[in-house]
Formats: sequence, C-alpha cells, structure tokens
Amino acid sequence: MAGRSDAGSAIGDRIDAITAYFRSRPRLRTLVVAGPPYAVLVLFFAIPLLVMLVVSFQTSEIGGPWTLSNYTNFLTSETYLTVVWQTLVISLQVTAIIAVVGYALAYSIVRFSRRTTLLLLLVILPFWTSYIIRMYAWINILQSDGVLDSTLNLFGLPAVGLLYSQPAVLIGFTYVWLPLAILPFYASLTNLDPDLIEASKDLGAGPIRTFTSVTLPMTKNGVITGLILTFIPTFGSFITPRLLGGTNNIMIGMVIENQFKSAFNWPFGAAIGMVISVVVVALLILATRFGGGLFGQRSQGGAEA
Amino acid sequence: MRKFSLDSGVSRRRFLQGAAGTGLAATAGCLGGGGGGGDDRVPMDVTEWPPEDISSSLNMWNWYDDWAEWAIDAFGDEYDVEVSNSGFSSPDQWYSQLEAGNEDIDNIAATTNWVERSIENDFLHEIPVDVMPAWDNITDRIKEASSYRQDGSVYAVPEALVLYPLTYNDEYFDSAPDSWGVLWDDEHEGELCMWDNATVSCQIAALYTGQDPIQPDDFDEIEEVLIQQKPLLRTYWGDYQQGMSLFVNEDVVAGPLTMGRTYTARFSEGAPVHYTAPQEGAMYTSDLFVIPRGAPNPIASLQFTNWASQTENAAQLFETMGYQPAVDISDELSEEDAEFTNWPDDWNLVFSETLSDEVRSRYDEIWTAVQAA
Repeated sequence: MAGRSDAGSAIGDRIDAITAYFRSRPRLRTLVVAGPPYAVLVLFFAIPLLVMLVVSFQTSEIGGPWTLSNYTNFLTSETYLTVVWQTLVISLQVTAIIAVVGYALAYSIVRFSRRTTLLLLLVILPFWTSYIIRMYAWINILQSDGVLDSTLNLFGLPAVGLLYSQPAVLIGFTYVWLPLAILPFYASLTNLDPDLIEASKDLGAGPIRTFTSVTLPMTKNGVITGLILTFIPTFGSFITPRLLGGTNNIMIGMVIENQFKSAFNWPFGAAIGMVISVVVVALLILATRFGGGLFGQRSQGGAEA
Repeated sequence: MRKFSLDSGVSRRRFLQGAAGTGLAATAGCLGGGGGGGDDRVPMDVTEWPPEDISSSLNMWNWYDDWAEWAIDAFGDEYDVEVSNSGFSSPDQWYSQLEAGNEDIDNIAATTNWVERSIENDFLHEIPVDVMPAWDNITDRIKEASSYRQDGSVYAVPEALVLYPLTYNDEYFDSAPDSWGVLWDDEHEGELCMWDNATVSCQIAALYTGQDPIQPDDFDEIEEVLIQQKPLLRTYWGDYQQGMSLFVNEDVVAGPLTMGRTYTARFSEGAPVHYTAPQEGAMYTSDLFVIPRGAPNPIASLQFTNWASQTENAAQLFETMGYQPAVDISDELSEEDAEFTNWPDDWNLVFSETLSDEVRSRYDEIWTAVQAA
C-alpha cells in the first residue's frame, strides 16, 4: 500500500511540475493548446487551397506558363454556367426538402417522443454505412421492379420506375444529408423553452402564428446551420447524380471530377473549384449574417438562449 | 528522491531533442517496412533467368480483382512470397502515388495511355524482356498494339486486351446489330444507354458519323448527334457495376460495356447478353504490367510479371474476369468460352491511341455540353 501511495504521489508531483512549467510560460501554453488545430488547418486546408489557387493560374501543363484563361474559359462559357445553374437549382431543391422533412422530424422527436436517444441513433445510423453502398441500396429500391415498384404493385398501384430521374437524385441527396440537418435542428429545438409556446397560445395565437412568430425565429440559428451543412455538400456532389440520375442531371462536381480523372486538365479543374469555393463561401457568409451559428456569433435564437 | 522537473532536471533543449528523436523514430516506423526486407537491385540487373534471391513480399495494384485474388495464393504458394493487392477503380489513383514518389507499389496493371504518361515522366523501370521466358508467349497482335517502348527500351509487359464493344441483349435482337446506329434508333427508345465517359462516348459518335475517333475533323457533328441521342437513352452509366446491372436487369437492350463485364453478365449473372464490333469499328486498348521506380521489391515484381504471362496463369484472367489476356490461351478454353472470346478477323478494331491534348479537351467540352443540353 505504501508503495502504491509513493507511486501515486510521484505521478502527482510530475503533473504539478508540468502544470507549473506551462503556467509560467503563457506563450508556450497557447502554442501547445492552439498549435495542433492550427497546424491541421494549415496543413490540410490552407496549403492545399493555396496549391489549388496556384495551379488554377497555369496552362494545362502543371509547371507551365501562367494564364488567366482557365477562369475566362469557365466564366464565359454558357455550357459551364448552365451546369452551375442546374447545380444551384438541385442544391436549393434538396435544401428545401430537407428543411421541411428534417425540421418536422426533429420537432416531433423533441416534442412528442419519449425514446429520444433511440430516435437520434436511428437518424445517424446511415452514417455507419459507406456512401456508395447507400447509393447502391437506393438503386435496388428505385429500379424497375425494385423494392418500391414491387411494394406499389402489392397495393395494386402502377410501378413508377424512378431510377435514373431527377426525383431519384433528390431522394438520394435527401437521404444522405438529412442526418446532418436534423442534428442542429434538434439541438436548437431542445433549447427552446416550451413555456414560450404556451405563452404564445395563451395570448391567443394559433399553431401557425405560434410557429412563425415563436418557434421558427427562436430556432433560426439551428435551421440555418442545418441548411448550410446540407447545401454545401450537395453543391459539390458528383456520385449521387452519376449513380441515380438520368441523362439530364449533370452537376458541377461531375465536371470538376472529369477534369482531374479523364480530361487531365488539372488547372481548369482547379479554376472551377476555386470559383465554386468562392461562391460557396459567399453564400456561407450571407447565411451567417442571417443567423447561422457556424462562426459561433451570438444572437437571440435557440441554442444560445 | 529526485523529482522530475522540466525547470531543473531536463533542459528545454534535451526535451526538444528527445521529442524530435521520438518523432523521427515514429515517422520512420510509419513510412518504412513496405517490402519484407526490400531489394536494392533493379530489373535490368537480372541477366539470367530465373532471378535469384527474390524478396518475400510483393505489393501489387491490379484492377482485375478476381484474378488478383487467385494470383495472390497461386504465385505466393509457388514462390513463397507474401502478396498483397490494392484494387483500384481509376488509374489516377496509382498514378498520383507515382507522382508523389513511389515507395510502396511493386507491380501495376496499367492501361496503355497511362503507361505512356508514366514512361514520359520516367516513373517506370526498364524491363529485361529478352531474359524473360514468358515474353515469347505474348501475342504479336498485342505487342504491336500496345505502347510500351521508348528509345528501344521496354517498360511494360502486356497483360490483357480491352475491347469497348457494343453489348446487346441477344434475346431482344435476332442477330448482332451491325451498326452503332442502333443507339440512335428510336425503335429502342428508353432501352439504350451510353457510358458517362467523354472519350468513349465521343469516339462512338465519331465512328457512327464516319470520322476518325483519334483525330476527328467535325467536332460539331459529334456534339450534334450525341444531343440527338439523349431522348432515346435510359441513362449514362458511370460505374462498371452499374453498367452491367443495366443489362442484367434488362433495363437496356444495347449500349457500350466492356468485354469483361459482358462476360460476367452472361456467365455469372445469366443475363442474355453478347457483344459485337459494329461495322464502323470498335475501340480497344491494352493493360500492361509495369514495375514503378521506387518499388521495394522490383525483382519479385519481375518474377511475378513473367509468371503472370505463362499460358495457364494468363488463362485464369479470362476464366475469372472475361478479359482476353495478352497470351494465346485458345488451347486452355472450353468451346463456349472460345466462341465468346474469339474476335473475328473481319472486325474493324481501332486501337485507342493516346489523344492529343486538343482532342481530349474538345471531347470533354462536348460531353459536358451534351449532358447540360
């Protein structure tokens, strides 16, 4: 027993010594605490982004002469701008669907469910399976005579054969990104004081008025955060439209992928990537101005209430 | 009792030295150990066959997954070598490793165009084919079709011929379609597919319009016919498995698919499919074994390349994957397999030469415009 006590005391002394060492050196302490995350950001985000920026100003041969042509070719091409527009439309459609479905689901979990943990577990369950496998599962469900068509036939309804269509792409995206949106929706709704809803009703407001005047404004941060987390990955996606979409579901992520994998025009792909990054960051800043909580600023809404 | 103190007992310099040493040791531990002892020789050091003292490991990247799985045991048992394989879906996966400085890969099954790029960038070891007994097994047809030489030196050994045929449902069609025009025939509307691949699809359109698919003279016509075709298609498939499933599920009756996937669909999945080369021609390319510079076990890789080119081992490539190996295996096949793999002499086959930057870029622009139309 005495031996153990001595050993415990020795460890405690060492911890005290290390603590004192760092306490007396505030700069070193800051470096140790903040250094690793900053290093990760610089190594895996800033430097690759910088490399991409440099490459985007080169001719089709990396290391060749400098040029602006990659940007001018992209920004003056009706074809590529059409693809960006189509991508924007699909991304907004997906975001709108997820906003409605995700909010309703999160609201019902918070307000009406007892097994909250189990339901949240079910929500994030799809993340345990590979993205590609989930898409193949949807191929099996949506294909002609697949699970969906068989089920419809069972009830005497005609088959719909949704695979290789825009609805299939929307379903695939909604399924994949819904958990990302539900979690912030859920967090903001959990922090919403139920007494405020009761107060609204006591003051004579109906369900719709209460929702638009109390519930939604008070959970605005969580909603916008969820929508950002949905919109951004959808905008850059290329696997879902390739596997589930038909002949009219090209997205800008597919164009970028082609530049790197088949056209071998990395500088052009990098230029498209930079433009899209700027657009997405601009949208991100715009969204946070409306109250999204990604940058951690305070407002009067839900999670910070 | 001496207390541990960073203030007194351990100086900052010693602390940092220790940390650096530990870091270096950890880094070495992470980066090293790729090759069971490794080998300082290069393939051209082998002047007599068989090579002596091959190392006990081999790390290959071969996208013929089923064949590679068989080869791991067969080669491993025969030569007492521990073989591992990293399958890949796109050549850029291994090419980027070579660009970054290879320290891990010993042997790659590389498509001709990527072999050319690798040779140009000095990523590959020269191979002493004159001392390799199995080199004589490679057919003249594929030797002539592949690009693996530079300045008289050989940098690759052909593994397989890869045909991009027209695959069709042989219950739906009474006989093999004789023209790519079947993919523009509105009689089959909604039951056709194309490959979501700029080069393949534009080259099919070039053949259909009577142009040279390597150096076409009317890109506008290619774009025009591909846009005309869109309403007739079920989809553009972007993944080999997806392409095969379209035929297996009988969602489509005609479209481009590789010979290997057609073989799998027919013999493994029982789908009523066959393939043909339409009269306008069909593209084909080759896959080749290469030994990248930096390979930790280059001599074992050379031994493997020779072993894989032996007739009975090459025949397994067809048996497991349905691709035509670079070796004449006709004596090894059943009548049914021989009938399937036989390419009639009157087929007009066009070797898929590496495209110029201009043509590749135009094909990519056309394909984007077609999909966005």
